[in-house]
Amino acid sequence: MDKQTDTDQQNSRFELKTVLETSRMLIESRSPDFVLDNLLLIIMGKLLVSSTAILFYDPESTGYSIIKKKGSVRLPEGPVDIDESKVNIQQPYVLYDEEPGLFPNLTDNMEGSLFFNLRTSNRHIGFLFIGRRPNGKKLQEHELEFVESLTIISASAIANSRMFDELKTTNRNLDQRIHELNTLFDLSKEFNLLTDREKISRIFKFALLGQLFVRSFFLLYKSEDSITPLASSNLKSAINDEISEAVFYAANDVTPVDTALAEKIPFLEENNISTLLDISIQNDKVAVIGVGKRANEKPFSESDFNFLKSLANLAINAIQKTYLIEERIEKERMEEELSIAKSIQIGLLPDPIPNVEGLDLSAVTKSSSEVGGDYFDIAQTPDGNHVFAIADVTGKGVPAALLMANLQSMLHVLLPVDITLAAASERINNLIFKNTPADKFITFFWGKYFHKKRVFSYVNAGHNPPLYLPADSSEFQELSEGGLLLGAIKATAPYEQDKIELKSGDIVVCYTDGVNESLNKDETEEYGEERLKECILANRKESAKTIQQSIVSDVYQFSNNKQYDDITLLIFKVD
Amino acid sequence: MKNFSVKHRTQSGFSILDLHGELDAHTASQLEDALKDLINQNRSEIIVNCSNLEYIASAGLGVFMAYIEDVRSDGGDIKLTNMNDKVYNVFDLLGFPTLYDILDDESDAINNFSNR
Repeated sequence: MDKQTDTDQQNSRFELKTVLETSRMLIESRSPDFVLDNLLLIIMGKLLVSSTAILFYDPESTGYSIIKKKGSVRLPEGPVDIDESKVNIQQPYVLYDEEPGLFPNLTDNMEGSLFFNLRTSNRHIGFLFIGRRPNGKKLQEHELEFVESLTIISASAIANSRMFDELKTTNRNLDQRIHELNTLFDLSKEFNLLTDREKISRIFKFALLGQLFVRSFFLLYKSEDSITPLASSNLKSAINDEISEAVFYAANDVTPVDTALAEKIPFLEENNISTLLDISIQNDKVAVIGVGKRANEKPFSESDFNFLKSLANLAINAIQKTYLIEERIEKERMEEELSIAKSIQIGLLPDPIPNVEGLDLSAVTKSSSEVGGDYFDIAQTPDGNHVFAIADVTGKGVPAALLMANLQSMLHVLLPVDITLAAASERINNLIFKNTPADKFITFFWGKYFHKKRVFSYVNAGHNPPLYLPADSSEFQELSEGGLLLGAIKATAPYEQDKIELKSGDIVVCYTDGVNESLNKDETEEYGEERLKECILANRKESAKTIQQSIVSDVYQFSNNKQYDDITLLIFKVD
Repeated sequence: MKNFSVKHRTQSGFSILDLHGELDAHTASQLEDALKDLINQNRSEIIVNCSNLEYIASAGLGVFMAYIEDVRSDGGDIKLTNMNDKVYNVFDLLGFPTLYDILDDESDAINNFSNR
């Protein structure tokens, strides 16, 4: 074995050992920096080269830059000018002398320098520059093979470490998405259980602050009649109506608070609000969120805003639900109240309607859906005669029913007292005036029928005048003598009292404004007194009951069965 | 049924909140109440011991965000200690270590406060 071969064998064993050790070291390393440093040092030490560098390729900018250099490289780290289109990345290395002008002059004498392709099976990473040896000796074939092996190993190590970094980033992003989903899931469960707006807003606030890592925040919600802040955090000043409105209409999808907007609404800048976001449900803008910068100054991403929108949608849905529930409770309360009013009203009416000697009598109240304040009464007085009353109390529902109850009890207290209707009317007026606000009053008509003398004496306190149709006439007389309606003012003048003398076949029809003010189908015309009179005339031969039924059905027919107010009729016909 | 509780104790003159169980949207208000109580008593050097905290959701982190400014403007701080890895991971994911002192042990927090 000659000496030359021996040295060769030693060399190749050494190179093999280096390649092996290097590959183990490089593959285990996850730092590209470490890999490249070692690559350069091994080459320089092993091949006695005085200048090396790494030219890194950036696929995005399609340019090269020096990211590492050792020895006498005169160019600084940074971008270098290489025409990327002329680079052949198929070859393992390029000789500087074969491609003049392609590579920059990294050293004073570039003759004999080499550019090794750093590549993996599918990616070109850059070039390893190896300058000429100080002694000018060219690299031998086995040395070139050695460098090529090292570049392949290094390139794979770099690609691996990049992939590792990418995986780490991807994993972290995934973790964040999973956490966002958990937050949404957590909140949707929680919101389902809540009907308290204040609680929903507070949980929404905490989830937002925690998830987005922000300190300043507000939520404006638009209800039917106003824009109100439902939640906020870390604001220096309160949000007044004017600010609410300006902010609400300034937000359009994701709206950054720029200089122009900050000038228009200084409140935003004062409170470090950096972004506005509007929330629409079925194309209806229902809420606006303002958030400050992240506590770590990192900008928000598209996915942050998507998360925020989903979170806000959940919260707004829950908040809208609370309003709907409140409306439903309110409606149920109203219905309950109406049924109470109705039962009060019904309880106050005489049942059964008593028989009055010498009279054919019929009376009825048809309550409207809202329950008005109609009332009638027929009661016997201690002298064996009867009092008839008909009244309409202002308002509807329970308040009207209570006032009606008041009137009824006064009336019954006064029945045994030996005073005239006129004097009693004045007492009732003064009591009601004293006990109720000025806008509460009663139109009231009452009369006493003396059955032996067939005399009907009455007082009309502002009520629709009852119609009196004598048996021998086709002309109606109105029973309007009396005075002011009850409860409006303290009586200044006494109530007038009048009487009519009745004979067989005479008819008296008392009614409330629900009859004459019933509207036709188009709501353009009232039923009116003329139609009422015609109906009475057409049925004058019939019983009181039939007359009453005819009027009611005539009114219903006119109004197409739509009833806005109570309808009350009290009719008597002299036997 | 979820279980969460906050217990308050005083150690070396500092207020310590011991969190137990799962801190989420449902239980966040309990932590809020506890923090508000301390702030109202002008106790602004607060240590939150998380050794028995099994889970934390964003709403739980939000409570810390909502009150850190108040506490720091009073010259105090909220220091978090003894977190398990799962809980720490959530804090870390959302960037909390940049803003909050998160320490291995309660005694570290006490030392930090004492040596200020």
